[in-house]
Amino acid sequence: MFQQSVRQFSSSAVAQKVGCAQVKPVHHKVRIIKKFLSPKYPELKYEPHDIRSPKYKPYLTTPDRVQDHYFNTLQSDLLLINYRHGQQPIYGNKRRQWDMTSPYHLNRPLRKPKGQIVPSPTIKPRTYENVPRLEGVTLNCFVKDAKLYPAQAISAALQLQQITGCKPKAIFAKTNVPNWKLRPGMKMGAKITLHGRDASQFISTLTEIVLPRTRDFYGISNRSGDRYGNIAFGLTAEEVKLFPEIENNQDSWPQNFGFDITLHTSAQTDADARILLSGLGFPFTGSERIPKTLLNDLVSEEEEISTTQQ
Amino acid sequence: MFTVRSTVKTITAHVKPTQQLRYKRDKAGLNPQLERIVNQLSVMSAARKQPRLLKLCDEDYIKHRTVMKAWSLYRKNKIEHNESLLEKQYQSMNEAAAELQSINPKLYEIANEHQFGKRFPLEIRTPTDFPPRQIWFYDYFPKVDGSKQQ
Repeated sequence: MFQQSVRQFSSSAVAQKVGCAQVKPVHHKVRIIKKFLSPKYPELKYEPHDIRSPKYKPYLTTPDRVQDHYFNTLQSDLLLINYRHGQQPIYGNKRRQWDMTSPYHLNRPLRKPKGQIVPSPTIKPRTYENVPRLEGVTLNCFVKDAKLYPAQAISAALQLQQITGCKPKAIFAKTNVPNWKLRPGMKMGAKITLHGRDASQFISTLTEIVLPRTRDFYGISNRSGDRYGNIAFGLTAEEVKLFPEIENNQDSWPQNFGFDITLHTSAQTDADARILLSGLGFPFTGSERIPKTLLNDLVSEEEEISTTQQ
Repeated sequence: MFTVRSTVKTITAHVKPTQQLRYKRDKAGLNPQLERIVNQLSVMSAARKQPRLLKLCDEDYIKHRTVMKAWSLYRKNKIEHNESLLEKQYQSMNEAAAELQSINPKLYEIANEHQFGKRFPLEIRTPTDFPPRQIWFYDYFPKVDGSKQQ
């Protein structure tokens, strides 16, 4: 029972007294959104997808030709093309544990992966759950002359907006190169990332109108890609003139700006991404290099024998 | 990002080396170069371009909600159906490959080679609502030799 204090007659008073609050302090953990407390401005309290909200933006207003084409024809073909029976995951180069030789290794963040700084992802076997699809398109327009003529960054942004119909973001110089008179923070152009219908629209104009009419375009290089399924290529200022939005209004475009296009796909490797993009109408050219690790992704025979014996 | 005030400030210094004259303005407004830039910026800005807020009565709102819900269910069912088809295709591919492996290992090896470098034919088109006048080129053969395309 409770220890009897010498000085006090009552023992229960001491026992029931607590040194700290027994109720968990939640008042600072639950965020209070003040707009919900006041009865004012009820229209500002709706969710953005609610049609009564001022933030409401109609979506899926028109059919998406490219998306339909993907789901109707490409997806099942891609599943078949990418499938290999008995495929094994190819483990990526991950962060390593410290060899606890020093007491300071305790709680230290994990060691860098061998030979690289960022860990590489594990490539999983291709199933019906990870059929590659196009996720987005990024247009990046870096104007070299914008350091001398800042107005060119604005017209480059306007050009991107004219082509895609979406609002571009400004891009700024990051590095200091005294020889080029480039300083960090200079506005150097614009970029947009397109998703969904906007991306499909852009892709269809690109593959049906612009690329077939460009001179000396034989296809996207088969060497292009960031290893993990994003393929990039560039358009020069001459090729940009072929976009119908600009071609039909040439007088207002005394100057055009070339830009880089990155096609983001959910494919795990560049080789898979290229197969998908060829189905969307992008030609590819040149010789293709495929890493050896990707070629040997089946169960080896020794392993197979050992599993059957068990 | 692209605001009128900031850009005009930065650009004015460059466009016109200012020789300041007191109490004298040669022209009203901006010079044509600057005007052009301001024009470009106003095209990009969202000001006065947002459509007016819809005002729905309760009945209209409930109608809208019902239609949207029904449509989202329709889309969801379509997606699920599509996924189940893919899954079935995958299962039957798996079974067929396993069977071939047990029946004829040589053929299995050929069938199970990787397909990297495979491409959809360049003639593939995303279907349109209205087909072209000439639907099929009967005399067409794809170029194989001598063309740079692959």
